[in-house]
Amino acid sequence: MNEPVISVRNLQVEFVTRRATLRAIDGVSFDIARGEVLGVVGESGAGKSVTGAAIIGLIEPPGRISGGEIVLNGRRIDNLPPDEMRKIRGRKVAMIFQDPLTSLNPLFRVGEQLIETIRTHLPMNERQARNRAIELLTEVGIPAPEKRIDGYPHEFSGGMRQRVVIALALCAEPDFIVADEPTTALDVSVQAQIISLIKKLGRERGMAVMLVTHDMGVIAETADRVAVMYAGRIAEIGPVRDVVQRPLHPYAKGLMGAIPTLEASASRLVQIPGSMPRLSSIPTGCAFNPRCSEVFARCHVDRPAPLPVNGRRVACHLYDQTSAEIFSAEASR
Amino acid sequence: MNPRPYVEVTDLKKVFDVSKPWLNRVLEQSPKQYLKAVDGVSFDIKKGETFALVGESGSGKSTVAKMVVGLLGVSGGEVTIDGVSMTDKNQAAQRAKLRRRMQMIFQDPFASLNPRWRVDRIIAEPIRAFSVVEGEAEIVARVGELLTLVGLHPDDGRKFPHEFSGGQRQRVAIARALASNSDFIVCDEPTSALDVSVQAQILNLMRDLQEKFGLTYLFISHNLAVVRHMATRIGVMYLGRLVEVSEAKDMFTNPRHPYTRMLLDAVPDLAMSGRQRIPVAGEIPNPITPPSGCTFHPRCPLANERCVVEAPRSIDGVACHAVVEGRKLVIPAAA
Repeated sequence: MNEPVISVRNLQVEFVTRRATLRAIDGVSFDIARGEVLGVVGESGAGKSVTGAAIIGLIEPPGRISGGEIVLNGRRIDNLPPDEMRKIRGRKVAMIFQDPLTSLNPLFRVGEQLIETIRTHLPMNERQARNRAIELLTEVGIPAPEKRIDGYPHEFSGGMRQRVVIALALCAEPDFIVADEPTTALDVSVQAQIISLIKKLGRERGMAVMLVTHDMGVIAETADRVAVMYAGRIAEIGPVRDVVQRPLHPYAKGLMGAIPTLEASASRLVQIPGSMPRLSSIPTGCAFNPRCSEVFARCHVDRPAPLPVNGRRVACHLYDQTSAEIFSAEASR
Repeated sequence: MNPRPYVEVTDLKKVFDVSKPWLNRVLEQSPKQYLKAVDGVSFDIKKGETFALVGESGSGKSTVAKMVVGLLGVSGGEVTIDGVSMTDKNQAAQRAKLRRRMQMIFQDPFASLNPRWRVDRIIAEPIRAFSVVEGEAEIVARVGELLTLVGLHPDDGRKFPHEFSGGQRQRVAIARALASNSDFIVCDEPTSALDVSVQAQILNLMRDLQEKFGLTYLFISHNLAVVRHMATRIGVMYLGRLVEVSEAKDMFTNPRHPYTRMLLDAVPDLAMSGRQRIPVAGEIPNPITPPSGCTFHPRCPLANERCVVEAPRSIDGVACHAVVEGRKLVIPAAA
């Protein structure tokens, strides 16, 4: 494997409120290589979007990055001054948001928005930038781009609008793209088109893509590796086929079992009792322990570190040799 | 067995007037515009089964649900529930009795519960409105019973909706739907706003309650996997028309209408079986100016001249010329 495009080490993000300091992200680490899609999956409040926002430098006060580091192409970017970061954002890293209607300015033609972004980052004149904008629109699959470039966002359908947003993200040929729930606002038939577009563009351009979504199906289709997040931590990270088909972490197992599938109609879905803890009351030890079916004494006191298990990393005491002995000793008692 | 289906929907239509204001019409000389949200939908639901309507946004599935319970007037056609017409003016008295027995669960549990009412008052409302039980102590007992039934604690009744999570709030909505001893529940995207692990809890709960009380569900969803898990029979809607009605198990093993096939192929493949899939083309057209003939023809891989001019009628549960004529789809060789 070559040098990763983006490398996140032990990232921590906190939100300071009047009552307490809430830790939304607590020790998240991962790498993404060129041309690789990392899926980040989790339920609401797991911290997946905040992770994306932290990488791209969009954490606003009262939020702040309180620890760890983010390295892009060998350069640390989490501690850059805002002016420096602004040059990188859009140029080296770009973001695709969930709702294409709110991420485009309704008062400007699509072409104007594309040309503005291109000229901000690349030394081009108006004419060159316009040609490039048309090229980009062609690449993301918008029919008759020479005409559509002069349309306003409201003249595009939801799927087409999301394609424009993707073109906007590609303007300056970034090395890394964060796609935050890019298909959640779309219908299934359109979702399938957007997924295959993101996948194709990532491959062809050798970009690193971080795909944030709550939809495991989208991950299974698109990602090379997947990180399952829970309460601001990564529960399990590994190759997508392994994690989807044979999850190891009890939360990942429950999550997979809870998804109804087209293949078989199981009479009952696997049910994880309870719901995600609030940030203000994350349990001690393993954050998942109150909902876990395989919980034992150590889980209440000791926070599990990510352990390498068959090519993945799993943050669970069940896969720790020493705790397995304690566990079996407890069971035999 | 009652030979007559519990719910009968015959040739249901809903037309919305989406014209510009009168002055604009006069000045710009633009004609009136109508949107056929639901265009001749017929199906029936047997007692104790779950009938699901699936379709993409704008297909008219929620409009059908609202017309079935009477939240929206019909523009044409008829809805009959347990032999009582919901549309006939002469049957108002019988209909009033029927109201108690049908309830609705909405998509967004944040919007469907009054934020200023405590949960016990929310659940007691249908009990009081229909005088299901008399006396304050009995009502309190009944509310506690309902809360336990949906997996909450009777003491939770003293809380306000904002104190609950999304899943718990949906449980409150289910308790309210059951409060009047209803037996027909219309569920409009009941789990779309919920996380998967919570969705599983709610779907399991709904199935348990169905078994326990013999409930009949009309289940509206855009998620085919959820529908597969819940439904006995499924109707697929496209641009206000019902294109296919089948038994749930047949629909997934042997989809007949090209649109159903397309929808199934569009669902991300979680099992990663590498099954062969037809790539999806296009998006839903503007419903104000739908395509002529079969409204699906611009996106259909099997369409020919007949589909452009003639709207197909439903034969044996499928409204498609290609199926009737036995046209075969040639799947392009995988690249």
